[in-house]
Amino acid sequence: MSRFAYLFEGLTVRRVLAVTVICVAAAGATRWFFTNTIFELLLIALCIGYTSTLFFTIATNLRLGMRREVRQVLAIVLGSFLGTILAGLARGFNISHMLTERLWGASMTMGLGIGIGCVVLAAAIIRERQARDEARLHRAEAERQQLEKSVLEAKLQLMQAQVEPHFLFNTLANVQHLVETDPPAASRMLDSLIRYLRAALPQMRENSTTLRREIEMSRAFLEIQRVRMGSRLEYAIEVPPQMLDLPFPPMMLLSLVENAIKHGADPCCECVAVTLRASQADGRLTVSVADTGQGIVPKKAGGVGLANIRERLKTLHGQAARLVLEENQPRGVIASIEVPMPDAALHAPPLVRAA
Amino acid sequence: MPDKVRAVIADDEPLLRAQLRTRLERLWPELAIVHEMANGRDVEQVLEAHSPELFFLDIHMPGVNGLEAARTIGSRAHVVFVTAFDQYAVEAFERGAIDYVLKPFNEERLATTVGRLRERLSAAPPAFDALVEQLAERLGGAKPAEHLRWIKASVGPQVRLIPVEEVLYFQSDEKYTRVVTCEGEALIRKPIRELLEELDPARFWQIHRATIVNVDRIAGVRRGLKDQAELSLRDHPKTLVVSRAFTHLFKQM
Repeated sequence: MSRFAYLFEGLTVRRVLAVTVICVAAAGATRWFFTNTIFELLLIALCIGYTSTLFFTIATNLRLGMRREVRQVLAIVLGSFLGTILAGLARGFNISHMLTERLWGASMTMGLGIGIGCVVLAAAIIRERQARDEARLHRAEAERQQLEKSVLEAKLQLMQAQVEPHFLFNTLANVQHLVETDPPAASRMLDSLIRYLRAALPQMRENSTTLRREIEMSRAFLEIQRVRMGSRLEYAIEVPPQMLDLPFPPMMLLSLVENAIKHGADPCCECVAVTLRASQADGRLTVSVADTGQGIVPKKAGGVGLANIRERLKTLHGQAARLVLEENQPRGVIASIEVPMPDAALHAPPLVRAA
Repeated sequence: MPDKVRAVIADDEPLLRAQLRTRLERLWPELAIVHEMANGRDVEQVLEAHSPELFFLDIHMPGVNGLEAARTIGSRAHVVFVTAFDQYAVEAFERGAIDYVLKPFNEERLATTVGRLRERLSAAPPAFDALVEQLAERLGGAKPAEHLRWIKASVGPQVRLIPVEEVLYFQSDEKYTRVVTCEGEALIRKPIRELLEELDPARFWQIHRATIVNVDRIAGVRRGLKDQAELSLRDHPKTLVVSRAFTHLFKQM
């Protein structure tokens, strides 16, 4: 029995009470039309009402090919027919008697049942539509608020200091040593550190800067790391000069470079090469950071910064931008950000690959 | 020369090794730096080859870090930790009276440490295993990996790396398993059964013999044909079938 329980879902006390009220009202309203007593009319109305409600509920839950509204109207027709016969039986008539001598009365009763049933159905459908529209509005509002929230979070994230004390102190220790042993190198390292700090310390940033600025920031960071890690790190930046002035979202490239060092080069004892590349095709600008480091460890987390980049790309460009991570050959990771290019840039002259 | 104290410096940054060496030579002429290393991997061999009495160990090193190296050394030599910024470690060192120096080096501070070490070297190296153990756990970040965090999937000639949070669902497809994300899908060879063992069960639920869904990506549940249910997903048009054996997961939701 429980297998069919779902067919009766929605047959609540509230629904039965509502039907009862409608039946009482219908019996009262048709009193002037029929010669029957009010009790007979009430009996007929309730028989039709309850039978129709039962069929209506089953038809609503039944999964058949046809439209739900069609199923419901059919249920009301069937319910009214059987309800009329039931009421007749209850009053002691036999079926053949009803279908011959009393056919007119029975048809009238049935017709009224169908009419009232359909009016109630129409009202219910309109109410349901309204509720659905309201729910849709509500959902849209919730989504909008969620979006606003993530935009705000992304902004906050950007404003927070991204400089790790560990990085800062180790770099300063290197500078301290270079001041004594190789002052020009110390000066260069300080210069890189200043350029990096200027970009990485909290400040209100625009949603878009140029690729040039992001590359320079990454270069400063990589230069510091190259001095620190000695022979363990090499880096190259292969970005065609004419792409440098294309707009690019801020602080994403640096995050990828930091990841390449932290998750790729740092845990790896051999020499690691980090290469920044940019290319454009089909109206999209792709900037990638490739490392030859340790690669992804399947069971180790390392995606917090990446989730943030994905979120920000979605906020800025929707589905038009994406972050892709791939395995590098023979080792390491390639992380690429693809963003749509502004229309003006689409008509840029053909590219020449820079050395 | 035989009277000199033999010491080893371990730091992954070559300039910082050179710096510590220069400063120590200046402050402590009776000290001989017999070896330098970039990580703690070869501690055992170094102990054997040079029988040093003293190690300067950077805490953060690739491969084998300073704390792990200290664990290996045990009480066979004295250990001084070198660190740039580890609030927690520094507090622990202070409490446990373990010697440490901070980078960038402060001449006076280093001199104090050298003075203390000179006195201590005559005694046997103290045992601080418990503290190092505790620190290694806290700082090492080498927590045993529990669940799968990344999916490696072939997309054409490339191997795409997908963080599991990005996956909407996994579905077996004859020989392969399809990995579906908002941005598309990829194929992997790992069967559903193996994925189930490796994925975080709080985040990924099996809802069908052939399907695992990311719970965070479920938008809604509704009754489907027979005793099944249907899941709709956030940001994706596809609905997934929950077979009868798994509908209990969504009761009272």
